[in-house]
Amino acid sequence: MRKTLAKNIFLNINPIKKFRTIKIQVDFLRPLHKEETTSRRLLANVMSNSTKDYPSFQAINDREMELYGSEINVFTRNLLNFNDLAFSVEFADPSFLIDGQTQVKDNLDLLGEIIFKPNLEGKRFDETAFETEKRNLMSNLVSIQDNQDLVSSLGLAKLIYQNNPDRQVPIFGNIEQLNDLTNEKLLAVYQDVIKNDSIVINVVGNVNEEEFLQALQASDFYQEMSNDRTDLQIKFDRFEELIKKPAIQIDHKHLNQSRIALAYATEGVSKKFNRLAPQIMNLILGGDDQSQLFQQVREKNSLAYSVSSTYQPLSHLMMIQAGLDSDSVNKAMDLIDQQIDFIKQGKFTDEQVKHAQKVMLTRRKIATDSIQYYIMQSIWQTVYPKTLLNDEQFQAELENMDRTHIASVAQNLHAIAQYQLIGD
Amino acid sequence: MTEKLVKQTKTLGNGFQISVVPMTGFNQVYGVAMANFGSVDTRTEKGLLPSGIAHFIEHKLFAKPGYDVSEKFAKYGANSNAYTSYTKTAYLFQTLENPYDNLKVLLDLIQNPYFTEENVASERGIIDQEIQMYLDMPEWVLEQRILGQLYPNDPIAEDIAGSSKSLQQINRDNLLTTYQQNYRPDNMDLVVVGDVDFEKIENIVGNSDFHPIATPLKKAFNQFQPIGQGGQESMDISQARSAFGIRIDTKMTGYDLVKKQFELNMIMETLIGESSTNYQEMSRLNLIDDSFSYNVVAENNYCFIIISGSTNNPEKFQEYLLNHLSYKTLKEVLSDAKFERIKRDAIGSYLFAQNSPEAIANQMAELYFYDVDYLQLIHMIDSIKKDDVLEISEKFLKDNNCTYYNLLPNRK
Repeated sequence: MRKTLAKNIFLNINPIKKFRTIKIQVDFLRPLHKEETTSRRLLANVMSNSTKDYPSFQAINDREMELYGSEINVFTRNLLNFNDLAFSVEFADPSFLIDGQTQVKDNLDLLGEIIFKPNLEGKRFDETAFETEKRNLMSNLVSIQDNQDLVSSLGLAKLIYQNNPDRQVPIFGNIEQLNDLTNEKLLAVYQDVIKNDSIVINVVGNVNEEEFLQALQASDFYQEMSNDRTDLQIKFDRFEELIKKPAIQIDHKHLNQSRIALAYATEGVSKKFNRLAPQIMNLILGGDDQSQLFQQVREKNSLAYSVSSTYQPLSHLMMIQAGLDSDSVNKAMDLIDQQIDFIKQGKFTDEQVKHAQKVMLTRRKIATDSIQYYIMQSIWQTVYPKTLLNDEQFQAELENMDRTHIASVAQNLHAIAQYQLIGD
Repeated sequence: MTEKLVKQTKTLGNGFQISVVPMTGFNQVYGVAMANFGSVDTRTEKGLLPSGIAHFIEHKLFAKPGYDVSEKFAKYGANSNAYTSYTKTAYLFQTLENPYDNLKVLLDLIQNPYFTEENVASERGIIDQEIQMYLDMPEWVLEQRILGQLYPNDPIAEDIAGSSKSLQQINRDNLLTTYQQNYRPDNMDLVVVGDVDFEKIENIVGNSDFHPIATPLKKAFNQFQPIGQGGQESMDISQARSAFGIRIDTKMTGYDLVKKQFELNMIMETLIGESSTNYQEMSRLNLIDDSFSYNVVAENNYCFIIISGSTNNPEKFQEYLLNHLSYKTLKEVLSDAKFERIKRDAIGSYLFAQNSPEAIANQMAELYFYDVDYLQLIHMIDSIKKDDVLEISEKFLKDNNCTYYNLLPNRK
């Protein structure tokens, strides 16, 4: 069931019966804005800390346990050029419980409580909730420096998006903004979110659609989500300047292992095959344990334990990451270039193409064994349906894939950024 | 409605157990073969094996004469992987098609070692990079250090992958001997989750090439030295990390040990879980952040709890836990209502895991070695009484079972 509750407020109920849990997720979306990134992340944390009726972290956790270990999750993430503030509850399907008759309503109420009944003291959030979560977030931000894979991918992202100020602040915020954030400012952010963000509500699992809709209409959700919201404008980053002059940064740190992170734009690939061909090219280059990078950098030359490439279909960027000894960095970079040339020159075998096609199909079908898959499909269907291919389209594009398409993607790879974290 | 899980199972004459669990509505077939052999199993009658040898075997079993097993899995549309824990090694595949061909590949993987001087040498470089990667992770380093305090000079305190030095001592010969001693059918099992035919699986496994068993399986458990006094060291990190460890020496094995693990989890959830007063208080005192967590491990003859997280004050972190992890505190806070909530939470976790063929297969494969039927876990949880939990806490939550380790940031 798909329903529009108001302009840009959507509800999708998928009563699929294969899972043993039910998940309700509510995504609040608005364009990424650097000034709001840290505050939306802190807001997520403060809102999951406590509520009006469960006024402490202890009380809310007790309630989750009472409901057979319901899992509340509130987080922010990048979705296209939007900041997505998502609230979800996943809970045991009552048909597997002896006394779970009110599970669906109880969990819907709990999620509603978290979103619409914050733990306030006058015109501020409860001081304990605010201070605890601010301290937690600060601690998490400081700890980033101890996660070298994250340091490396953040270093690369900073180079890639150097011309987009809204992407310069990582999605989990930064220390400077957090220091300036007051309790009053955060409440204003909350009120703005509830009133103005576009909303996608998803329910996946063994529910009766009509009964769920009725329960929703009788809850806070319906009353608080009745006003129209503005349209979301999709924008894509452009990388012309970086294609002309790639960004390179090398940092040194006292580490056992060095990391390299490389980014490539795929501009110039024909629109006739720019949806699946880059993904096939990526699989052949570094997408799994049969790939060129895995076989040549790891297996043949023993330079790295982890080396791989990923392709992001929405930004059309390809990334390569590897962890290795500092004195192997140059050799590994040469080997990486050689593997890209290998594909550019069409030296890959038909078996490699067939394998990549099979992997694409397998991953797509295995993904449907996860509850989250249905939620993401529904969000894309609502926000950016163009990105979705139905099974027939997918199969047809996959089968019509030509070797020249794959080589063409490699020929149109443009190195745009390189980040090296050298351990010494 | 979704059907409740059922399984078919059979133990072959050679001791190898097969289990199959159909999953209605799921596309994938997931198979795992597990050996009751892990990184701690380095003590033999002939002396000590180099640390990391179980993990090295896991890497190198993929190599076969003229091919790598991952290529065969790929040919039949599967992705494959493997992992080594302290006491187990597992080999797995996930596929949409050709489950029986993939099963044959899995059996080839575990039954036919092909170790050469050359392929062993080339693997050293790869594993050494894996070791270096983990050495940059403070949480991982801290776990090894606290295990070093809980079990001084025991193999469990070594990195699962070994060290750069121990890798040099691993060679074709000790790999092969160690493989032959441990990869025997009566020390392994197989679980396949998905839409497959049990009889076909049984036939394929029955006709496969397990090595003959010459001697009865001897599982020698390690003997432990007294718990260490605690310690700390500096590292290039931005924030201090602390670990508090509790060792539980028990002669329990099998079903009783798994039940004890559930009971210990209930004790920890009550005392320091997110819904506990202690969690709130430690948070208020700024001793913990949301990285704070605990982990109860009960495997073979190891049973311990590690409580860890980032902290601004390692000394007070340890002091708080030492003072509040007690039978007395538990007795005060474990009301009937609290106990009921904790049981419900455990039941919920069990159902959540059943959304994942991977989780079902891996847990079922491991629990077999403890004579526990994964599908009966719900009854085990249900059978636990509040008094059992109190009794265990009285027995084990004692100062002399506890130790600590801190990682401190280098002052620049």
